[in-house]
Amino acid sequence: MIEHAYLIPLIPLAASALMHFGAKEDPHSPAPWIGVVAMAICLGMSLSILSAVASGSVAVPYEHNWPWFSFAASIGGKSFIYDMPVGVLIDGPAAVLLVVVTLVSLMVQIYSIAYMHDDTRYMRYFGFVSFFTASMLGLVVSSNLLVGFMSWELMGLASYLLIGFWFEKDGPTEAQKKAFMTTKLGDSGLYVALLFLFAKVGSFQLTQIHHFYDKGYMPAAAAAAIAIGLLFGAMGKSAQFPLFIWLPDAMEGPTPGSALIHAATMVAAGIFLVSRTYFCFLAAPQVMHAAAWIGCATAFLAAAMALVSYDIKRVLAFSTVSQLGFMMCALGVGGYTAGLFHLTTHAFFKALLFLGAGSVIHSVHTNDLRLMGGLSKKMIVSFFTILAAIAAISGIPFTSGYYSKDMILANIWHSGDRPLFFIMLFTALMTAFYMSRLFILAFWGEARDHEKHHHAHESPFLMTGPLVLLAFLALTSGFMLDRHGLVYKLLPKPTISVMPGEVAREHAPPATLVSATMPAEGGEHAAAPSEAKAEEHAPAHEAAAEHGEHHEGHLPHALHLALPFLVLGSIGFAFFLYKGPDYAAAESLKATFAPVFTVLDRRWYLDDAFDLLVVFCDKVAALAFWIDANVVDRVFVDGWGLLMRIVSEISNLIDALFVDRTVDGFGGLSLDLGVGLRGLVKDGQVQEYLMYVAIAFSLAATLILTR
Amino acid sequence: MNAPLTLAHYMTVAGLLFLIGVFGALTRRNIIGILMSIELMFNAANINLAAFDRFLHPEGVTGQALALFVMTVAAAEIVVGLALLLAIYRGTDTVYAEDFNLLRG
Repeated sequence: MIEHAYLIPLIPLAASALMHFGAKEDPHSPAPWIGVVAMAICLGMSLSILSAVASGSVAVPYEHNWPWFSFAASIGGKSFIYDMPVGVLIDGPAAVLLVVVTLVSLMVQIYSIAYMHDDTRYMRYFGFVSFFTASMLGLVVSSNLLVGFMSWELMGLASYLLIGFWFEKDGPTEAQKKAFMTTKLGDSGLYVALLFLFAKVGSFQLTQIHHFYDKGYMPAAAAAAIAIGLLFGAMGKSAQFPLFIWLPDAMEGPTPGSALIHAATMVAAGIFLVSRTYFCFLAAPQVMHAAAWIGCATAFLAAAMALVSYDIKRVLAFSTVSQLGFMMCALGVGGYTAGLFHLTTHAFFKALLFLGAGSVIHSVHTNDLRLMGGLSKKMIVSFFTILAAIAAISGIPFTSGYYSKDMILANIWHSGDRPLFFIMLFTALMTAFYMSRLFILAFWGEARDHEKHHHAHESPFLMTGPLVLLAFLALTSGFMLDRHGLVYKLLPKPTISVMPGEVAREHAPPATLVSATMPAEGGEHAAAPSEAKAEEHAPAHEAAAEHGEHHEGHLPHALHLALPFLVLGSIGFAFFLYKGPDYAAAESLKATFAPVFTVLDRRWYLDDAFDLLVVFCDKVAALAFWIDANVVDRVFVDGWGLLMRIVSEISNLIDALFVDRTVDGFGGLSLDLGVGLRGLVKDGQVQEYLMYVAIAFSLAATLILTR
Repeated sequence: MNAPLTLAHYMTVAGLLFLIGVFGALTRRNIIGILMSIELMFNAANINLAAFDRFLHPEGVTGQALALFVMTVAAAEIVVGLALLLAIYRGTDTVYAEDFNLLRG
């Protein structure tokens, strides 16, 4: 099955084209099932790939390339031929991501069939969703960063289309522009990084770039520059501080589309890019440290904003940003496995939260948490599934979020950066608080708006079915992956054997370096198989082996035991503040700390800062325009024109006086000469003409012969 | 006296013949004389053709064949010339070239 992995992005792409161009716009059309069936096929293929990778029946990384194009270039007098293949590279993270993306997309599409049924652009929506998923899958499977970048940009386009799906309204139009431009800002960094990489390595193939890094060929400064560029791209796509401003607005699109953006595709792409090019970051430790702190800032700032928002989708958007901060922070401190683990579990529970929120909004026709309340009695399935998701994201023991967030915190703890750890711990408690707040406001207690409450009803089966499946995964995926250290086996941390700059000192024979690296040549990393084997062959020593090899994945025992109680305390605090119909305790707290709430409600003034930046740039541009119009145009362009006119007037005068006179003179001379010569000849005498011909001919002959 | 004939001999004869033709064409007043002189020049060229062919490419007869062609064309041409002359004579009652100046510019 793995040799057909290239089909996984192509099938949804074909489905998208079919739905876009083949189907008529009709609210009762069965055509969305094309997308559902296509995605189900992809999910089946992904699951078989994942099970093959997990059981070890195929060697990872699996790479297969097809020739695409090649070109010759001459650099510094030498000419090179560059081959640009296109292909698939499936390693553990890619296999996991394939399943996550296809599964979430499938759930979203099934859900959307019910959710979007009365929309006038029903088919177009499903075309966009399939296209979006296809782009993400393209990024996941591609062995070539150039193809990856294309998919990355197609995803930007798809998110633009989906966020602005209801383009008749101003909100979505503004939001789609904001999202597109903010992510493009990040993409510019990625673009520069890719150019730099190609200039240094001469290839876009991930395995070759890894090989290049692994041997320490990359100079430290270049490695840092490339890592910064890649990080910048990931910051835009995965909504990291300060580029996260687009994500809260991106919920203007259809809610299932938001679920796709927040769980499976758009924001996961940034984290996945960082993980895919993790060796670039390993070679630049300072940039990794910066990434950790950027992730930390993102997590904290977004969680704080989520504390005060009353828009159910906005709270979820802030929580996505915050969780992405967790992943980035984990990757920054070297917790590769933890970051990707959290990406996986987060995809399940965040898709569930958005779909659940969509179900609620569908039912009560408002986003405002203050107008909800008491929905648990009306929407029993949504209530329980959202409860499961909230338990998972808060980190209640034995749900998926508990395992992944625990691992992230443990990684941060073992990085030795205590301020970072305590901020992230506090943010984790804030997560539990704001999610509980959302839950209490929406479902608990009594109805606040009785009319809306009266109309509320449970959603149809097509919507609740995906919720139940996702709830199951949100509860159990952590346990399933954490068991037997499966997550370490599936998501092994890449290594580089030589840090940049060390290659000069270590004159190790190249053969040993090669044996430790080059996944393309059929080998895994030296460390990974030994770990995997140790776990397979010696289950009795599993715990000990895990402790020995993955001790960074476990918190100190006291902290590990205390964490659930801290989380429960945080949830209890939320209950204390928001219990009762008018949540008086929260309101009084809000009155006491009014300035803080204002700052949070204004989203840390970051949007205003960006507005100011735009206005400032506008002013600068206006000034530049003024200088251009008044100085450059007046002095240089107009002045140059005047000078040219004077010069050409002089030139004209010279032309008329001298050149034309000369021309006329030659003409006149020829005329005079002709008239004079004609006088010599008697008209019409054939023999006389003949004589001149003979004379001329004999003169010419003489000239030629005597030469 | 037994020296063999060379190309130069033929060319000398042809050259003299050509000069006689030129001289005749320039000095004869009678158009018929001029036409005869032109015939002399043709024949000078024919001698050259035959001589060059004989000395430079003795294996073939291209030059001689070409000379026969020239004679044929010259005969045809002189027929046209004489016809023209006859037409002019009927109109002007003269055969002297200096009287034919209808084309003066």
